Amino acid sequence: MKASYNWLRSLVPQLNDSPEALAARLTAAGLEVESVRRFGEGIETCELVAVKALRPHPSKSGLRLVTVDRGVQGTIEVVCGAPNVPEPGGMVVFAPLDTHLPAVNITIAPRAIGGVTSEGMLCSEVELGLSDEGQGILVFPPNFAKPGSKFVEVVPSAQDVVLEIGLTPNRADCLGHRGLAREIAALYGFPFEPPPPQAPSAMSDAAADKAVQVSIDDTERCFEYVAAVLTDVQVAPSPLWLRYRLSALGVRSISNIVDLTNLVMFEFGHPMHAFDLERVQGATIRVRRARAGETLKTLDGVERHLDEDDLVICDAAGPVALAGVMGGGHSEVANTTRRILLEVASFDPRSVRRTGRRHGLHTESSHRFERGIDHGDSSVVMATAMSMGIRLAGGAALRGTVKATGKPIAPVVVRLRSARLNAMLGIVVPFAEAKGILARLGFQLKDVDGTTVEAVVPSHRPDITREVDLIEEVIRVRGLETVPAVLPSLHASRPVGNTEALMARVRSAAVGVGLSEAVTFSFVSPRDLEIVGAPPPAVLLRNPLSENQSVMRTSLLPGLLAALGHARRHGEKDVRLFTVGRIFLKGQGEGLPREQLSFAAILAGHRGAHLSKPAPLDAWDLKGVADGFVERFAGLKPNSEAYPQEQRPAHLHPKAAVLLALGGRPLGHFGLLHPDVTDALDLGTEVLAVELDVEALAKEATTSRTYKAIPRFPGSTRDLAVVVHEDILAGHVEAAVREAAGSLAESIEVFDRFVGGSLPLDHASLALRIVYRRHDRTLTDAEVDTQHASVVETVTKRFSASLRA
Amino acid sequence: MSAQEKPPASTLPLGATPGTSPGTPAAKPSPSEALAGIEASLHALRTQYTERFAAASTEQQLRDENAKIVGKKGDLTTILKQMGAVPGDARKSIGEQVNALKAEVETAFNSALASMARAKREAELGGRPFDMTLPGRTVAPLGHRHPLSIVREDVISIFESMGFAVHDGPEVELEENNFTKLGFPPDHPATDMQDSFWTTGGHLLRTHTSNVQSRALSSRKPPMAFIAPGAVYRRDDDVTHSPMFHQLEAFAVDEGLTLAHLKGVLAEFAERLYGPGTPIRLRPSYFPFVEPGAEVDVGCVFCKRPDGTRAGCNLCKHTGWIEILGCGMIHPVVLEACGIDSEKYTGFALGMGIERIAILRYDIPDIRLFFENDPRFLNQF
Repeated sequence: MKASYNWLRSLVPQLNDSPEALAARLTAAGLEVESVRRFGEGIETCELVAVKALRPHPSKSGLRLVTVDRGVQGTIEVVCGAPNVPEPGGMVVFAPLDTHLPAVNITIAPRAIGGVTSEGMLCSEVELGLSDEGQGILVFPPNFAKPGSKFVEVVPSAQDVVLEIGLTPNRADCLGHRGLAREIAALYGFPFEPPPPQAPSAMSDAAADKAVQVSIDDTERCFEYVAAVLTDVQVAPSPLWLRYRLSALGVRSISNIVDLTNLVMFEFGHPMHAFDLERVQGATIRVRRARAGETLKTLDGVERHLDEDDLVICDAAGPVALAGVMGGGHSEVANTTRRILLEVASFDPRSVRRTGRRHGLHTESSHRFERGIDHGDSSVVMATAMSMGIRLAGGAALRGTVKATGKPIAPVVVRLRSARLNAMLGIVVPFAEAKGILARLGFQLKDVDGTTVEAVVPSHRPDITREVDLIEEVIRVRGLETVPAVLPSLHASRPVGNTEALMARVRSAAVGVGLSEAVTFSFVSPRDLEIVGAPPPAVLLRNPLSENQSVMRTSLLPGLLAALGHARRHGEKDVRLFTVGRIFLKGQGEGLPREQLSFAAILAGHRGAHLSKPAPLDAWDLKGVADGFVERFAGLKPNSEAYPQEQRPAHLHPKAAVLLALGGRPLGHFGLLHPDVTDALDLGTEVLAVELDVEALAKEATTSRTYKAIPRFPGSTRDLAVVVHEDILAGHVEAAVREAAGSLAESIEVFDRFVGGSLPLDHASLALRIVYRRHDRTLTDAEVDTQHASVVETVTKRFSASLRA
Repeated sequence: MSAQEKPPASTLPLGATPGTSPGTPAAKPSPSEALAGIEASLHALRTQYTERFAAASTEQQLRDENAKIVGKKGDLTTILKQMGAVPGDARKSIGEQVNALKAEVETAFNSALASMARAKREAELGGRPFDMTLPGRTVAPLGHRHPLSIVREDVISIFESMGFAVHDGPEVELEENNFTKLGFPPDHPATDMQDSFWTTGGHLLRTHTSNVQSRALSSRKPPMAFIAPGAVYRRDDDVTHSPMFHQLEAFAVDEGLTLAHLKGVLAEFAERLYGPGTPIRLRPSYFPFVEPGAEVDVGCVFCKRPDGTRAGCNLCKHTGWIEILGCGMIHPVVLEACGIDSEKYTGFALGMGIERIAILRYDIPDIRLFFENDPRFLNQF
């Protein structure tokens, strides 16, 4: 809502605060002033001057040299390119040297144009900041003012201060200057006495109710419809004061009649409409629901297909306006219009809102009706419109108005208890003070007893329905700074659900294995889910912003891979990312989906190297990350096993697709992404990925860690190097060693593997280090030798392995 | 020890009596000659050992020299072997002389050894410093939490220490919990502030974490104090709005909770998050589910002067205040819709955008940076 400071001051003459001080006061009361802007700023030095002579520019075509009379300052010749410089006698606005025009950011300086020096400029409304469009300079008739007069002294409406107020949706009463003035008066404690409307200066003998008929079919949605008729009007441009007032408020001047409806709306916050009565068939107004198949071409030229839920204004032939939203093009006021039908009505906010949204229309009118207009001010609004209409467009008003009513709106009465007021705020508010605030806001009060009052809610505050609304009014006007800060003693609650705690644990474990956290969108493209072999989406959006964000993810991978793609496009090749978040799986029946906390990480690029050539990451880097993550999170080492070919997730590479399990329970998988996947997503690099079900992981995590005694007796280390066929997996050799070494083997570690060299084809050398130890005594060499010999025998026999020296 | 490092066989110092090396057959000297010879040898040794130690340039040479004097086959042993020829009454004196010399040599040896070690240490200490401008070596690259998570965990811990506990809630929600129970009137402009994503199943993505309020209030009896952090969704996408973002809501319901208590919690929160003395300011505002409702500003953290006043800057639009959250007393309509006696119980609620707090804390110009997950962004936190 844009508000004119000058207008507000005319309604609250006692107001002496500067615009800035007023803005601060309004903001403190919940009407947030977002900006304070000067209209017609910097034009104080501009003068009204009379054109004395005109001649063409000696060298530049299209330019003219204009001699103007500045009164006591004499005459001056300036260069002007405007096509509409008036004949001698006509008056124009002259900006002398050093004038700064903020609207176009120009400071007037002597300027040589084609050999002629111009010391000043003839101004357009755009240059003066009075309009954002228009061609040519501003022109006034001869003798409009004494030459050399200051423009803003002759046309004071060219300057104003505009407050841009970000109104909350409950404060429809402040969508007009009267409502704002009432609020300001209440905040400052000034009386609010707006002038009553004047009677129209010219009244016809004919009665309005003989000229038009009004009826309401849908009394649930139209509470009141008031019509009046102006006759013999002259549709013409508006006077300057009106044009500039509307321009200051951001509205383009159209014609005196259209401007009239806007002016009245900006005064009362109550939208109104003007029809060309000659084009209202049968001079009949009927408010009803649209019928199936009806259409209406609205003022914006769009042919609207009406819905049976739309409330429309009809004439004898059919719809002529979308009630409260926009008028129809056919009955629009034109330059030739002589008879006007004025409408001031009250419509159901919800109906207006639905119609507006259905047709994609949000207008100054629908904005106000949706929020709730004053349903008790139609007679004052109409009286003001009629007298102002005659003032602006001449003609006469037909006698009286024509009014139809729908469902009556009962006055709302709300009780306020002093004790409740104090209990809600935590302070003691003198009850007399509270009542004074409500009275200033327009509530009629009746004492029930010394500590309770009944407040009749004024018709301009449809948002007030309960006691707590009154409490808010009191503290809003009194000031929230009057409430002290007091720490409560809260009854500590116990957590409900553990998602947040699990996420924090995941982050800590993942960061500990060198991963950085990504936060990715929960909605993804269905295609990306398919590419990574995720379950089909269980939650589809009805109104996504784009196809790429149209389903809720069933895997975290698409988000991470998108981050990888972004990083690589920006030249970042080494990426180690994880994310923790929910995936959305099918729930039970038609109910809400199952939101499962998941973890995923990707690695791409190179392993960190120190002062040497970095090597590309491989599957064992990923295994280290996956195992390390699980161990840090769960306190237990996971088991990992290659997927059997037929169970392998399709998005993983057949050579490196690993099932990760803990306590026999599968937690997820990791591996190299299938090259088809990286190609489909255009990633251009190998990607290693791990995906885990965090909830399953948490269930398997150890809940009790107990200390294990540190060995006090020395261990004996034996190395075993064997050559085995490459089909034999190191893990199997390790398992055989573990089995043969029995409980004496404290640890078994594969510490070397190589192929090639002098080894037979398809064979690999594996070296294992076994530490033998007892916790109750020192082992003898003989004991260790015996045990190790059986290990060697088992391994060589079972795997047809040969020992390496 | 290798063969080369073995101490060489003892050699008598220059001036010692020749022909007394062990195993060298010689004529047996007279007792007085023997005594004189031993004394001469002792004297010679006493005058020489210092030089012999000083001549050693390595620790090994020093040790070798020491062994040549006091070792099993050293000079002193050689001298003692001649004791047999010394008259009985002189033996005691010679023995004392030998022991004294042995102690002298040992002291000198230890001191020479110590000074040699010290010289070596000094030389090592005085060597060329390492180039510590070379990059540090890390076992694994350092991982980073996302700035949104850092802020989220910080804020949660502040509220947890005030007695609030985390309450989970779903992101795909029923309209009832997201809007209806919170007092959003149907077809009301208030829902414009929260343009929703709807699912084909008739649910919606929660537009705020207040859905958790509906759920908690509907499922348990007061008193309660909860926080609900998490992702929320609105149909906005520009420099300042992301269609998915994060909120954190705190709410408490009990008998006797007041607006003053809400302010107390807010003031405590502001000081814990932004430092002691950080002022707060409440401006009345409107949210359908609270009344009275307010927006909360904190004293601008960017243009704060040492004396606690604010200079004004672009971030606070020269007001000295920065808006960080919305709050209010829980609307009785909400309590009633959730089956709680609104006369007996009151409550307050506050909610903030985690992105907003992070944007202010880290001076991040564009909300989209949070979701691009560029490593160069993440590595800064």
